[in-house]
Amino acid sequence: MSSERLVGHLSVDDSARRLRNYRYAEERLMRVLGGWIALTPELPAKLLFGRHVWDCAQHADAWGRRLPELRAPAQTSEPANDAMIAFMQLLESPERPQQTLERIAGAYGVLKSHLVTVYARHLVSTNPVYEPPTRRILARCLEEERRHAAAGAVVLDRLIRDDHGRERVATWQRSLLAALEKAGGVTGDSAVPLVDPALLGVAPEVVVPDLVAVPPDFDPAALPADLAGAADAHRRALERGDAAGAAGWTETTARDAVAAAVASLGGRITGTRIVGLAAIGRQQMVKLRLESPRAVAFVQLRWTPTPSGWRIAAGDLVSTEPISAVP
Amino acid sequence: MRARDVAELKVEQRLPPFPDLASHESIRERVHGIMVGELQAMEGAGRTVYDFPDAPWEFTMDMARQVWDESRHVETYLGLLEHLGGRVGEFPESTILWRCACAEDAAARVAGVNRGLEGLACDVFNQLIHIAQKIGDPIIEKSVDYVLADEITHVRMGSRWLNELTRGDPERRRKAIEFQETIDERFNLGGTRQDGHHEAVPISIAKQARKLGGFTDEEIERLVKSTQRSQVY
Repeated sequence: MSSERLVGHLSVDDSARRLRNYRYAEERLMRVLGGWIALTPELPAKLLFGRHVWDCAQHADAWGRRLPELRAPAQTSEPANDAMIAFMQLLESPERPQQTLERIAGAYGVLKSHLVTVYARHLVSTNPVYEPPTRRILARCLEEERRHAAAGAVVLDRLIRDDHGRERVATWQRSLLAALEKAGGVTGDSAVPLVDPALLGVAPEVVVPDLVAVPPDFDPAALPADLAGAADAHRRALERGDAAGAAGWTETTARDAVAAAVASLGGRITGTRIVGLAAIGRQQMVKLRLESPRAVAFVQLRWTPTPSGWRIAAGDLVSTEPISAVP
Repeated sequence: MRARDVAELKVEQRLPPFPDLASHESIRERVHGIMVGELQAMEGAGRTVYDFPDAPWEFTMDMARQVWDESRHVETYLGLLEHLGGRVGEFPESTILWRCACAEDAAARVAGVNRGLEGLACDVFNQLIHIAQKIGDPIIEKSVDYVLADEITHVRMGSRWLNELTRGDPERRRKAIEFQETIDERFNLGGTRQDGHHEAVPISIAKQARKLGGFTDEEIERLVKSTQRSQVY
């Protein structure tokens, strides 16, 4: 054997430290993705996080199990420095329901893509004679993180609706990359670029089977024709500001409650859209999106069949928010 | 929408308060409810991974695994809903499972979620498998059977962690079990869950599945008794 095959880049202690850095990133990311699931309204993103929590856990576990083989305590994580902790806190910070784009862009476009970059570089530099246990874990984590990053890109692409969304993603990724650069990457000494697109290398079509096929958005064609006619006439009355016309579709006992729900929008109604339909026996719950120049409200109207046709038997406000908060 | 309000509106229309699985639409409604329940289970397990960073690492691993399992269950039930000609959002659902998953103590959470709610899932899925066999639907039968196998694993995780997290702390254990029992009582579904054969009762307590998940005979007996003083949730 030539002595060249025994050349190495990291000491045992340095290797252990690096693995603790990896474990810190994977463990934190696992927890963050887990916590985000309930905060994320969009099903594709929710299921994306749900799928990857376990993979991150296994990566953290694999790094943690390797540590005692490097004379270090098992299952310990270590951030490279305080700036790395600050980076993780920043990554975790988009918690509002409307910040799904930032969540995916940060976890997948920045951290997972960075992990691909450092894992790939590390793998190339490991010694094939005395570091195969580390190489095997690196190879597995690299392969899976590559797929995760690609899957995240697919879901992000599906959720970005316009240039404003693209700008939000780009701005957020720039902030996160700046914070990661301050830390020197997950290991504190990673070379720039911290995300090397050339190392990502998984085409979107390859990971499509990894993603849960989610049903399409609600189609108002799901409404029975007679109910659609009534619901549309009611919506048009609201859009015209015709309170009496709208009230005509509402049973007397429910008029005050329905009017109050609609009034919560706090302004002239500029648009309406049916966004949901749920059956309660023969009655139908229609979810309506109302827009004014300044706000968006969602109301639930319970329609019931009567001898004179469909009528609204009850109505509730679901939520209202300023237009600036709507993605 | 509150489950109780939905149930009352159905009763007003002379319909059963909960899907009785007597018709294709009723099976679809049950499957829809389970799909939403699995979503909330995924959210709950994810939250547990996040909320308890100081818990033993193996506990976190089990909860992370559960997140993945629940995501597959969502996918399974999305597929079954399509198989039955349904769509997401077709029936109103509540967030009661999520709300029940929000105990502040990890031991109470695994007792309530893994043993209480996942135990309930064992009962419900066992019954769905029985119905699928009866109507000759191997797609439902096989898919749900795999989900049931996972749920038994989750109950087992709950049994293990209830013991391990409360070892040497009888007060913590007592509170965790009390929390589980409030969930058991709440989800007896107005007397729908009972002891007895599938043909004789609406939802039969899955004793065998529960034993595989670490329930003792005494605990199953206590659950049977609680079904006799049930409330509608």
